[in-house]
Amino acid sequence: MSGTFNKRLAIVWLVLTAMTLAYIWLDHSADEDGVLKASTVVTVAAIVIALVKVRIIFREFMEVRHAPVLLRRLTDAWVVLMAAFLLGSYFIGSALVG
Amino acid sequence: MTNLQEDSSTKADRHATRFVPGQPDMWVFVLFESLLFTGYFSVYLVGRIQNRELYLQSQAALDLRFGVFNTIALLLSSWAIARCVQASREGAYRDALRDAFLTIGFGVAFLVSKVLEWGKEIRLGNTFTSNEFFQHFFFLTSIHLLHLLIGFIVMGVAVYQLRSPARRSQQLVETCATYWHTVDFLWVLIFALLYVVR
Repeated sequence: MSGTFNKRLAIVWLVLTAMTLAYIWLDHSADEDGVLKASTVVTVAAIVIALVKVRIIFREFMEVRHAPVLLRRLTDAWVVLMAAFLLGSYFIGSALVG
Repeated sequence: MTNLQEDSSTKADRHATRFVPGQPDMWVFVLFESLLFTGYFSVYLVGRIQNRELYLQSQAALDLRFGVFNTIALLLSSWAIARCVQASREGAYRDALRDAFLTIGFGVAFLVSKVLEWGKEIRLGNTFTSNEFFQHFFFLTSIHLLHLLIGFIVMGVAVYQLRSPARRSQQLVETCATYWHTVDFLWVLIFALLYVVR
């Protein structure tokens, strides 16, 4: 029993670490020939990847996957809420500043 | 899952039936804290947009390697505390205790690396008063580090619980773990926003 679960936790850690390493690639892809550039694609990708990681941590590490439906819905709603706040302030801010 | 349930009744039941990990109060705290941080992240993102060039130039002075190392260290600590919770649930308290110390160890690795990173930035002349980006950087990383330091006290509680057969409250161990994971996922967001977002 514990063997199965420990293996699952190890896989979860591997996935989260791979997603973290993907940021290195994302970071390199952002700048052209050493010139720093603002990028909507990189910004949105960075935020979305982070939120997917947060949801994985909720469900797997924090055992929300075994939790009652209320906690599962609440944590999912929170991820959506954070996405709305972060992407919302980025896009609305960009639209206002122009 | 069904076979396992037939084999070991109580342990499998625990997994089959739905349960809230730890005390519900801690979950209220987790949701409140993430909302508070999200509000601050929004302020940071809007600040970025108003002054893109300054943020880009300042961000370039950060060392992504520190960020990646720190993230992986905290992910390892989260992995260890998740193992600790499962071991303790199964009554394997020696394993649980080892995993709890492992969690603390990875937390210390994060702490040391963070202090080294601050030292490096300060030597480069990037301090709290340098500009808006570094104000956000030092504020967010130090408020997060404060959460990590509280996390060490929380882990002390978990170790205290696991040490003596007279205590060993599974609910308390889970509550401690929930707090620790929160320190982890808040860092996941801070890392993406400070180091990677353009």
